[in-house]
Amino acid sequence: MASILEELQSIFRDVLDQPDLILTRESNASSVDDWDSLAHINLVTSIEKHYKIKFALGELQELKNVGDMIDLIEVKLAAK
Amino acid sequence: MEYGWGDLHIGLIHGFDACFSAQDVGAFAALSGDTNPLHVDPAYAVKSGYPGPVVFGMLTSSLYSRLVGVYLPGKFALLQGIDIDFKSPCYAGDLLHVTGEVVFLSDAFRRLEIKASIRTDDGPLVSKATIRVGFHGN
Repeated sequence: MASILEELQSIFRDVLDQPDLILTRESNASSVDDWDSLAHINLVTSIEKHYKIKFALGELQELKNVGDMIDLIEVKLAAK
Repeated sequence: MEYGWGDLHIGLIHGFDACFSAQDVGAFAALSGDTNPLHVDPAYAVKSGYPGPVVFGMLTSSLYSRLVGVYLPGKFALLQGIDIDFKSPCYAGDLLHVTGEVVFLSDAFRRLEIKASIRTDDGPLVSKATIRVGFHGN
């Protein structure tokens, strides 16, 4: 079973059209090419659809990197 | 239409009809600079196996802009992205049925996704689209 990091990497590669992108917990909008504001909306909505979860804007504003996103996804999935 | 964010829901559907004239096709060629003969030269179109000049796919797709900007969700729409597959040609004078359905809503960024299609009056699918729409109202 793929880890959340592996699944996010697949989503990021698809949304950002970067098939060779390597994602780590430390990855953030500054370190990943083309992760701009519109791409961020596309990433978040793709993650919501993939995991069938919903984020609140306040939750997202607290995230600093992919690791924080993974932790939030884990909390959301545990609460389902 | 002037839907508020709270009025929108999965399954909400809107549709309308439209028709492009030969003059509309000519105007689009002039505006876009796309003067490909398949769209503007009747003799060439017939020689190529079509009954007449094919209406530009990007002209018919402008109806997706009308769909989100006027109907679904209407006033507060901001078109953020669209994926279109063209399926069948259509021609000046064809009556086109445009339909869109809300299939996804994200509260975090007020983003909705719409599955939409354009069909001619006699049935063939002209194109289908997935449309990503931001919402800038209340």
